[in-house]
Amino acid sequence: MTNSWSDMKNSEAFLIAGSNCAECHPIAMKWINRAREKGAKVIVVDPRFTRTASQADIFAQIRPGTDVAYLGAIINYIIQNKLYDEDYVLNLTNALYKISKDYKFEEGLFSGFNAEKKKYDTASWGYQLDAENNPVKAAALDDPDTVFSKLKEHYSRYTFETAEKISGIPAAKIKEIADTLCERRPSSILYALGMTQHTTAVQGIRCYAVIQLLLGNIGKAGGAINALRGEPNVQGSTDMANLISNLPGYLPYPTNAQKTLRDFAVKHGAAQQKPMVALLKAWFGANATAENDYGYDWLPKSNPANSPTFVQMYGKMGEQFKLTFSFGSNSLISIPDCGKVGPALDRLEMFVVADVFETETAQFWRRPGVNPKDVQTEVIFLPAAFVYEKAGTMTNSGRWIQWKDAALKPPNQSKPDLDILDHIFKKVRELYAGSTDPKDAPILKARWDYGDPEPSPLKVLQELSGYDETTGKLLPTLGDYLKAPIGTVSTGCWVYAGCTGNGNLCARRDNSDPSGLALFRNWSYAWPGNIRILYNRASCNAQGQPLDAKRRLVWWDDAQGAWSGNDGADVVDKAKGPDTPEGKPAFRMNPEGVGRLFTASYTGGVPATPPADGLPAIPTRGAAQCVDGPLPEFYEPIESPTANVLHPSVSQVPLAPVVSTEIGKAEDYPYVLTTYGVVEHFCAGGITRNIPWLNEIMPEPFAEISKNLGKKLGVKEGDKVEVSSARGKVTVRALVTDRIQTLTVNGKETETIGMPWSWGFASLSPGPSTNNLTMAALDPGAGTPEYKCCLVNARRA
Amino acid sequence: MTTRKMLLIDTSLCTGCKACSVACKAWNELPAEKTQLVTGYQSQKGTTPNTWTYVSFHEKYENGKMHWLMLKLQCLHCAEPSCMKACSSKAIYQTESGYTLIDHEKCIGCGYCVTNCPWGIPQVDKAKNKAYKCTGCIDRVENGLLPACAHTCQTGAVQFGEHDAMMEKAEARLAEVKKTYPKANLYGDQLMGGTTYIYLLTDEAEAYGLPANPSMPISLSLWKDIIHPVGGIAVGAVAAAVGLGVLANAARGNYRRRVADNAEAGSHVDSYGGE
Repeated sequence: MTNSWSDMKNSEAFLIAGSNCAECHPIAMKWINRAREKGAKVIVVDPRFTRTASQADIFAQIRPGTDVAYLGAIINYIIQNKLYDEDYVLNLTNALYKISKDYKFEEGLFSGFNAEKKKYDTASWGYQLDAENNPVKAAALDDPDTVFSKLKEHYSRYTFETAEKISGIPAAKIKEIADTLCERRPSSILYALGMTQHTTAVQGIRCYAVIQLLLGNIGKAGGAINALRGEPNVQGSTDMANLISNLPGYLPYPTNAQKTLRDFAVKHGAAQQKPMVALLKAWFGANATAENDYGYDWLPKSNPANSPTFVQMYGKMGEQFKLTFSFGSNSLISIPDCGKVGPALDRLEMFVVADVFETETAQFWRRPGVNPKDVQTEVIFLPAAFVYEKAGTMTNSGRWIQWKDAALKPPNQSKPDLDILDHIFKKVRELYAGSTDPKDAPILKARWDYGDPEPSPLKVLQELSGYDETTGKLLPTLGDYLKAPIGTVSTGCWVYAGCTGNGNLCARRDNSDPSGLALFRNWSYAWPGNIRILYNRASCNAQGQPLDAKRRLVWWDDAQGAWSGNDGADVVDKAKGPDTPEGKPAFRMNPEGVGRLFTASYTGGVPATPPADGLPAIPTRGAAQCVDGPLPEFYEPIESPTANVLHPSVSQVPLAPVVSTEIGKAEDYPYVLTTYGVVEHFCAGGITRNIPWLNEIMPEPFAEISKNLGKKLGVKEGDKVEVSSARGKVTVRALVTDRIQTLTVNGKETETIGMPWSWGFASLSPGPSTNNLTMAALDPGAGTPEYKCCLVNARRA
Repeated sequence: MTTRKMLLIDTSLCTGCKACSVACKAWNELPAEKTQLVTGYQSQKGTTPNTWTYVSFHEKYENGKMHWLMLKLQCLHCAEPSCMKACSSKAIYQTESGYTLIDHEKCIGCGYCVTNCPWGIPQVDKAKNKAYKCTGCIDRVENGLLPACAHTCQTGAVQFGEHDAMMEKAEARLAEVKKTYPKANLYGDQLMGGTTYIYLLTDEAEAYGLPANPSMPISLSLWKDIIHPVGGIAVGAVAAAVGLGVLANAARGNYRRRVADNAEAGSHVDSYGGE
């Protein structure tokens, strides 16, 4: 989230699209309702009328996977009618920046496409640069080379009528949504897996960024893009490098092309080099020195040619992976096209599962249709402690790192994950003792000092927060980390720096709110630097004074000669004035210092003359890049009932990796399936399906279908229906409902079927797994599978 | 001194998460029951000896607009409870806080409360031979805690407080909700002498499967207020019990008719009301 849960009370409108927060993040409604009490409007866009939709002022039913179409139409409408925040767009975005003359978008492809490799060369997506390598800015938005002109031209194809044809949402309804967002500022956009589980996931969310930057809704109380993260510490685990291309603190993971620390710095800039060294110091302590590149060699490098994501990993089990650890993951249920997971686990030599219950994944060897005798994999089950039985932190979506103590002792021999990992590491190190083999060095050289015999979770958090490595003392604040010379400090996750510097700030529980803006700055600690609303410099004018008198976040205090405010100012240096390079940029993590309407390929601080030593120069910072295009473009899902209206010859994302081998056609599988969770069960149900009270309130999986489809199939409410895709079939109870309507898409009636996915063959409440139907096709940038749309057929069972 | 309390169920804020039902079971140590989906997302048909509150779901599609009505139902704790009047063993009593409670020492499980409740709320556990229903979490409330359902509700759909202040809140909230839902109304304050649990409905009561005008069955008033005082003396207890049984059946018929009127609205009250 750019903001926080509690900040939702400050919004004038909500676009909840790709989130069913009333069900999947119930706490959201508490704060949304506070805004509604003050007149805020709620817009819900969803393939089904959900429990969240029951709270909406405006509801639009969308064909799954077509978000970019209607969002593109909103962008077009804002630009054509000059409804954007002109000051914001001119000063705080890259709207005026001139794009390379080589940039093109034709017939569904951006310039630089390599059809053979299915990859873009992004050079033509760059800025025009001056002699000092700085981007050239135009004098006015209507200069034909500006980002703004490219944006305007790109989205001119997205009329409300075209968007209706694609998405099934009536043009008038899209206009109503656009008008509501334009009239009611600030607004907050809420999304979750409904937006991320597509082959166009990143680009859909990029649409949100473009809309909010155009409307001036970022960096403000109540103005936000809020990603609702999962309750099992999804934000925290992402901070700790859950993603394949990251190290902790969102550092880029080095590839085998970056053989030395200098290579890494040349590629990613000095801004990433410093936290990389601090991370190596945290992991290798005194063993990491300037002379040995701070142990950079000990860090395994990734091979871009063979770097399977979570979903792709199962295809390589038995060959590339012989031993797999599974902690709190029920992948036999949760992986798309999940019928392939069991056979993959059969190919492993050893499989270790740590969980609270014996999940379907833990007992894959006795899944239906398999004789356990035929499975040769050695399976070890480690009883894990439950969430309330272990101390540590949970980081919420608002980046609040919240400390908790264990409330109960884990029963019998079950242990917290930390204890399990600590025990395994110490044993492994013992076995490697004395080895001189270079590949064993990372294990032998690591600093591992979390306590004996039991590790302390506080010690782990302190490592993340960081130490002054010259004195061994805790780093007091994020500022102390930033000021320290490279190599003298450590942090295990630089965005967490300072969270335990002056006592365990994450354990603070003061819920006072003097500003009335629900910032709660003395409740736990928000990364980075306890800033509650990111980019909050954008809430001020050029003089550093708040634009919204009702929502005053930060301001430049002339008398004090410093930034002051209700929130911590998100500026490079709080002692530098609003017109200085350290006090002016609202988006300091971008090399341009402004918000990016167009994700140009750009590296900041590349010197005009090469360094004297003849080595490649180290720039300051590289810009984040979308691999599939600098502007969001609509593409059909991999399995789609219709052709792409905008460019039929390039219907789907040309870069999307398709892992599933069976792809269905609309003539065999005419209906669109979308999948989701329900409030009563959690994720794959590994825990909740073992809680009788929860099974009582949601006892079985189901398929929701429209009354039209019900009539066509001869299916009544409560009948059993068999739903099949090219990959599998399941039989569940049918709910025949008006909450799903038949849509008209591209002139054709199109039916949506909705199914929750939380069931499997084990537990107190077994049921068929919906992911037997879904398809493993991935977003090319994020690797997230397209769970939210695939083609199916259905019949009365 | 104990003051009259009130619990407001604001259906305009309810998202049907059913956490109230789970919280109720957790606090009152009630076991889960085997269920299957009844209709839509509703899994619990009605109250049972082990289910004191549940959420019913009602779908209404009008002029291209969907209305998904969710209703948390439990004992409404009437000021003039017909269950208390019908109780053959004087097991049902009221508290100053406005609660209607069952004394299980006295309850003989005759089921008259079941048949005479306009909402069919109390249910008899046939093994224990006792009737059970929502206690208003009197044990929590008397110790300064919120009822379990109100405590767990995140959206503010279940709110608890002092009667007069809550009533004011309900009126103010009604005025606000009416702007969006012109048919919004308060349900309970004018019924059965005024209930302690009051609803803010966004649509007519029937749309939620609720009886529009619940009242004490005439046969029950007739028996208890007129015949019984005489009969009790003249005929004796055994004959009185037989007579009451006959009248109770008449009352049951009366209730069933009312429920049948509501059948189109997709009532779920009927499935347990008379069984």
